[in-house]
Parts: sequence; structure tokens; C-alpha cells
Amino acid sequence: MTTSITRRKLLKTSASVGVLAGTGMLAAPAIAQSRLIKIGSYGGYFEDSLKQHVYPVFTEATGIAVESVTQPDSTSWLQTMSQALSAGNIPADLSMHTPVNIIKAGRLGGILAPIDPGRIASIDNVGESFLSRQGDSLLGVGALSFFYSMVINTDEITEEPSSWADFWDSSRFEASLGLPKSVNFHFLEVVAATFLGGTDALRTHDGIIAAVEKAAELHQNVALWYTGESQMEQALKNFDVVGGMYFHDVAGLMAADGHPVKSIFPREGNVIDFNSWTLAQGSDKQDEAYEFMAFSCQPETQAIMSRMIGTAPVVDAASTGLSGDELAAVTGTPAIHVPYEVYLDDETFINEAWDRMVSQA
Amino acid sequence: MTASTLPQRSVLRGIGVLHVAAVLVLAVVPFLLVFAISFGHKVEGAAWVWGFELTNYRRFFVGTDYPDSVSLLYLKYLWYSVWYALVAAILAVATAFPFVWLMTRGSRRAQTVWLVFFLCSLTFSEVFIVMGWDILMSNRSGLPMVFQETGLTDWLKENGGLDLLREWGLATPRNVRFKPSEFATILTLTYLVWPYAVILLYPPISKIEREVVEAARTMGASPFTVVRTVVMPMVRTPLVGAVLLLFVFLLGAYVTIAVFADPSKHTLSISVYEAVRGSTLNAPFGSAQAVVLLLTAAAVLVIGQRFLSAKTGGH
Repeated sequence: MTTSITRRKLLKTSASVGVLAGTGMLAAPAIAQSRLIKIGSYGGYFEDSLKQHVYPVFTEATGIAVESVTQPDSTSWLQTMSQALSAGNIPADLSMHTPVNIIKAGRLGGILAPIDPGRIASIDNVGESFLSRQGDSLLGVGALSFFYSMVINTDEITEEPSSWADFWDSSRFEASLGLPKSVNFHFLEVVAATFLGGTDALRTHDGIIAAVEKAAELHQNVALWYTGESQMEQALKNFDVVGGMYFHDVAGLMAADGHPVKSIFPREGNVIDFNSWTLAQGSDKQDEAYEFMAFSCQPETQAIMSRMIGTAPVVDAASTGLSGDELAAVTGTPAIHVPYEVYLDDETFINEAWDRMVSQA
Repeated sequence: MTASTLPQRSVLRGIGVLHVAAVLVLAVVPFLLVFAISFGHKVEGAAWVWGFELTNYRRFFVGTDYPDSVSLLYLKYLWYSVWYALVAAILAVATAFPFVWLMTRGSRRAQTVWLVFFLCSLTFSEVFIVMGWDILMSNRSGLPMVFQETGLTDWLKENGGLDLLREWGLATPRNVRFKPSEFATILTLTYLVWPYAVILLYPPISKIEREVVEAARTMGASPFTVVRTVVMPMVRTPLVGAVLLLFVFLLGAYVTIAVFADPSKHTLSISVYEAVRGSTLNAPFGSAQAVVLLLTAAAVLVIGQRFLSAKTGGH
């Protein structure tokens, strides 16, 4: 249980320890193999799972050895890459990044190399929404996706909510909910999807303010604005909160551990987010990198990741061969999509508007 | 002047120069860097670049959307930084004082044991202490469970006490709830610096001669009057000094606030961290907030100093 939490904690871009950034490079194993690629991923359970379940399959299929590089997260890894590249080093040939940071890297320039989709035969498997483009060039290929979903405590909440709007009902949820404190956990998208006709409403300042004001009405019902994922996990286990927003797959793992926790897909759906493989500028392991991305886009690889790591596939679910139960553990419908550009073009505005709401300032 | 003193002098001078250089490199340069970065320019959707603009300071006082709207968000953070640190520092010193007073009245051996005990407790980090209190105040493993199991919760529900606690933010409709709350935050911060308060107050209080107290007692003063009119004036400076020191120490508290304070009552240390290390990578704004926090700490220290010298000057 704890390990899966560590993994997801590191999936988030915020609040992590940058000191760890370089450790993966220092611990480079001396493998005398002709073909080798350095692949970065978020350290902890997640990286361990990739090393245990995914990389060996790739090496067996292609003969290319993988040297795993530990990333603390996406945001500070972008900084690390930027500094290393300007010093002439390639910290990792392939790195994992969030959609927002890929756009950010595209704007900063000189960090990520454009990916030629023509060299990835299996790329057609991947849904268009999981491909990050900057103008005409492709900078990120979806690696995995996951859901922020509605969770409840089944001991305390007997009447299952059918809509996110139910959370606004104080007669049912006074001082009961756990919601993320950071705007980057996309609760605003839930508000927009529930009350403003969709997440496109967030593309204007007025829309952001409307969503923030609607969220402010929840204060009476929120018992915890969690800053770390483990904080919410503890609060759910302790009954400090009896509902809220949390990770779909982790809630499923908690339920499997015997906790009265359930993840629900209400009428409006849950927020889907994803992470992508990106190619470092100047990497001389292009062939190997393309082979790995092609491997990652195969339904079989996506199925391994869903079973072993709990991520949702970025390819058509039907092609993965996952059973109904296996799919339900990692995914659901409908999905609320995030307008990522808003978090860049209106970065300061959306952050401060949200923080003011949370702080009641 | 003998021959041997010359090289000794130059060695001493060398050490002095090294000392100054070390202070410059380790303390002044980082500060100047933070100060310089605080004027930098944040690029939306990217990182930041060097520059000279007052945008970050303006944002601190009126928000990013000014003049379309005014936000006092960061002033509120600053207020809570000062509020928590001041209240917890005063509480720690106020409660440590009677304890140290009684301790110094005890035997030498007992005093030593207490002091060693407090010195040992200083090895607990903030994280460790916060974890402990977190468990103590958790719904299913701490005080709320005790309330529930002993029937205290039901009793509170019957006589309306729980409704009152709900108004104070210390209960849900189901049970009492101590976190997040100002109560838990200040309690933990006070606990955090309590050993320091004891260790800071011990030397001045232990120096107070028993004869002075006994003289006052024989002249008919009650024990309370003795403490108020004889002991307190003698240790006023160390008392205020201890409050100021603990105040500055607590201004930077992070873990306690992050765990126990409601986000509507968060402090600048949280906001600085989120600006610098969070997803926005806005080091200039984080630096501006840090500079304001530093200036505030300096202002409080100056006021404390004035207060002390005015008092002692009046004698």
C-alpha cells in the first residue's frame, strides 16, 4: 500500500525532493552491452515497477539494455535536464514528463527534441489526446494515464452520490470532504464540468473566476485540503474525511486492503491525466529511443503496465486484452479532459485565483 | 615587541580574514542572491529570467490581478506567520518560566537530570514531533477516539457541546476533530520550542539567589508577590530575549503548518516553498516573499530591542 502511494506522490509535479535528481546517474551499472539507452522515470515504486516488469520485456524483445535514471518528478527534472544539456550532458535519452511541462519545455526550447511519428509504427494505437504537439512537431508520446476520481467512505456514506454536485450539499457532507490543495490536481475541471458546461469554460479569466467562486461554496464541507497524497490516504483510513477526490487506482488498492473506500464515476465523470515519453535534445540514442517508444505504444505493453503498476492504457482499451475487472481497476467513463494550455498561458492567474479561494483571502 | 609575536599576529590576522570571507560567502552572498532574484521576471508558462522589476513586490501586497482586483492573500500569509510564531513563543516562555523556577528550587541532582532530559529531547526533529502529535490527534488513533469510546462524544452531542465545537471548527457532525486547527498548530509549535525555552531561561533564573527571595518572604510578601515583584523584574531581559529568539525560530516552521493548519491559515514559509519548488518555478516571487518575511522578522526584533531598552532605561 505504502509503496503505491510513494509512486503516485512522485507522479505529481509538485512538492518533491530535487536532491534525488542526480542519484540515478551516479548509480549507473557497468553493463557491457552494445546497445544501451538511459530512460528516466519517477523514482520509488513507479521506477521499480518499470525496472521489474517493463524494461526486461523490452530488452528481451530488442536486445537493447535499459539504464534506469531516477527522476524526482517532472518539473524539477526539466530544470535538471536544462542545466545538464547546456553543460553538454544528456542525463537521460528518454524522460517522463507531464503535458504541462512538455508545453513548457517546448516554449523554453533546446531541451526536448522533436519526435518523428513516422519512425514509430505503433503510434497509431495511441489516442490523439495523448500526443503532445508544439506547432507541427511532436514532443511527447503518451506513456500512461490515470484518473483523479470521486471517492467515498462506504461505511459512512450509504447513499452513493450520482453527481459531483452532491458534494455541495451540506446536509450530507458538512466537514466531510478531502480535496487537493493544489490547483494542479484539477478539481477546477470537476467544477467546470459539473456547473459550467465543460472544461473549456476555464479558457477565460471569467470562466476561471466563476469556477473558483463555485468551488468556494464547498468550504463548509471540506475537512481537509490535502497537500500530499499520503495525507489524503491517512485521512480516508482514519475517517477524518468520508469523501473527496483521490486517485482511482489507489482507492481501488485501499479497498482491496479492506478499507471501506470506493472510487465512483459520477454522471460528469472523473478527471483523466497522463504522462509522456520525451526525447532529450542531442541524444545519440535515437534509434534505441524510437524502438522503446514503439514498444511502449503496443497494447501488450500497456496491458503489462495496467496490471503491474495500475496505470490506465493510452491505447484503445479493447485492444489490450485486459479483463473487465482489470479495466475497471484502472479506468472508467466518462473522462473529464484538462485544458493544459490554461495552466501555462494563465499560470500565475489560475494559481493565485485558486489559492485565494482555498485561503479564503 | 618580541620576535615571536609578529608571525603570531599575522596568523591571527589571516584567521580573521578567513572568518570574514566565510561569513561573506556563506551568509551574505546567498542573501544578496535571493534579494537580486526577487526583482526577476517570471515568464508565463516557462521559468524566470533576470531583470529589474517591482512586480513581485507589488504582487505580494495587492495580488497579480491588480488593478482589476486587489488580493491580500500574501499579507494574510504574513499575518499568520507572525501570529503563530508570536503566540507560540510567548506561550512556550510563559509556561516554561514557572517550570524552570520550580526546577531551580530543586536539588542540584534533580536539576541536572531535568536539563539532560531536555537536551536529549532537542534531538527530535520537527518531522518526528509533528508525526507524534498527528497520531495523537487522529480520528481513529488519538484523542477523538478516546472521546468516542468513553462516551464523551455522545455526551457532547446531547448537551449541545458538539455544536459549539463545530462552530469553532473543532468538530464534525460525527465527532470532535482537532486537525486542521489553530489549536493543533499552536500547540505543536509551542511544544516544539518548549525545551529551548527551558534551556534559555535556566541560566538567568538559576542565578537568582535564594537569599533575595527569602528576604522578601520574611518581609511578608506572598510567594506569588515575590515572583511578580522580585523575580520577574530580575529576568525581564532574558524573558523577552527568549520570546524574540523563539519567535524568529518559529517564523520558518514548515512541517507543523503544512500538517496542522488549514490552508486558509497557512503561512509565508509554505507559500515561499510552493513558489520556488512547486509547479510554477517562480523563484522571483518566492524570493520577494522571503525578503518581506526577513524584513518583518528584523522589524519585530528592533521593536523588541526598543521595548527592552526603554524598560531598563526607566530604572
